[in-house]
Amino acid sequence: MSSPRTVLLKVFRYGPDDAAPRYDQFRVPAGPRTTVLDALLAIRRRQDPSLTVRHSCLHGSCGTCGMRVNGREVLACVTRLDGLGDPVVVEPLAGAAVAGDLVVDMEHVYRRLEPVGRPLVRASERAGKNDTKADPGPLLEDLERFEDCIECGLCLSACPVAGDPRFLGPAALAAAERVLEEPRGTDGRAVLGLVDDAHGAWRCHLAFECSAVCPAGVDPGGAIMRLRRRVLADRLPRLVGRYHQEVPS
Amino acid sequence: MMRAGLRRGDGRRLVPRWLDPHGRHLGTWAFVANRLTGLGLVVYLYLHLVILSTLLRGPEAWDGLVELFRRPVFLAFDVLLIVGLAFHGFNGLRVALVGSGLLVDRRKGLLVAAGILVGLVTLVAAVRIVG
Amino acid sequence: MATRTEEDFTEATRWRRRPRPTFAWVAQVVSGVLLLVLLTAHMVAQHFVVDGGLRTYADVVAWIRNPVVFAVEALLLVCVTWHGIAGVHAVLLDLGLRGRAERIVARVLLDLAVATILYGLWLLYMLAFRG
Repeated sequence: MSSPRTVLLKVFRYGPDDAAPRYDQFRVPAGPRTTVLDALLAIRRRQDPSLTVRHSCLHGSCGTCGMRVNGREVLACVTRLDGLGDPVVVEPLAGAAVAGDLVVDMEHVYRRLEPVGRPLVRASERAGKNDTKADPGPLLEDLERFEDCIECGLCLSACPVAGDPRFLGPAALAAAERVLEEPRGTDGRAVLGLVDDAHGAWRCHLAFECSAVCPAGVDPGGAIMRLRRRVLADRLPRLVGRYHQEVPS
Repeated sequence: MMRAGLRRGDGRRLVPRWLDPHGRHLGTWAFVANRLTGLGLVVYLYLHLVILSTLLRGPEAWDGLVELFRRPVFLAFDVLLIVGLAFHGFNGLRVALVGSGLLVDRRKGLLVAAGILVGLVTLVAAVRIVG
Repeated sequence: MATRTEEDFTEATRWRRRPRPTFAWVAQVVSGVLLLVLLTAHMVAQHFVVDGGLRTYADVVAWIRNPVVFAVEALLLVCVTWHGIAGVHAVLLDLGLRGRAERIVARVLLDLAVATILYGLWLLYMLAFRG
């Protein structure tokens, strides 16, 4: 019987007491369905319990285990080692303060989402009415549909611009587009004023890296472009006469 | 606070974030190429103005320069210039359209079309200049 | 949380006093589209119509004395300088400049653009009227 396949992981390590980061190497067994998160948890169990990793749902819907694998932003729980080569480089999300090893402070995501209103429930699409397969059951009148964004922060890490803390970033701008598309009682003009800014929608350079890595189908890049169209449609008639920004009422 | 992203050894960043190639997709490559061609063209603009200043020194100086620029190495540079110009122009057109919120769902197709146009222009220019 | 948010986004509100970024985008798009036309015309007329691709001194002066050519070249100069310098500004902005450094860079670039345009126009004038 042949020995089980193994993969070498080069894992970013950094603790608050360290002067500088380093990369530790761990050899882990890897089957055809072994995920990056499986490997990291195996390292914690059998090789180095000090390795700091964060996760929750284990099926790609909570967004907690976001990290960079071979430079690319992924959710570790649904990313298989198979096909990633050997060695595999595992690092935390970029542009965020590292709390320890692969765990980053997610404050940079939340503080950008707050000013735009952080839409959660999509009122325009309710399952249950037109969806014959969805059955609310006896206790619920209706099935609510949440917005796609799981606030995982992969887009902010992937964006070539989002290292600048002034830039609203793909997640917040995509949320702003959803707020303007479906106001749900929020003040659209205030949001429009916020994104029509050198560090708002106009800071995007159309790399679309955010859309490429988003695990939830938000397409933040596309949303930013639609946002820019809204701003142009709103401001353009006045641009010819006046160059200076009005204070949104 | 420690921030990750293309850092080595002592934690210093090696290149600006937008030049970090690891794990990036086609859209980022187009953006980087647009930036690099743009910067190259700005450098060329000033080079061009300096060269044109030779005209102020009269026919002998200028005509001598013209003979120099007919050499193969300069002709090759001219082709490169046209490739850079074509890429920045056609990709820039895509950026202008998509970046204004038009044809957003067709952005992949626009990038491919831009690439084809760049190829065509390169071919015509190469044949015309070097041939 | 609220304090941190205001601290990070107050910079954004200071732009209210300045021409809007929407204007900067539109200017970049308009100048870019104009350049696609003007540069193509410039390339074809300057280098693909003349035998050997480069004009002698006498040819240049004769060519630039044509008022249509003069106007097109002047417009090209303004567009390419604006578009190029604005592009450089965008690249520099991504270095994370703030406050005073940002204002100084913007001022220097504006001065550079004006100086470039003035120099180019002067060069055109010297060739057309004093060549």
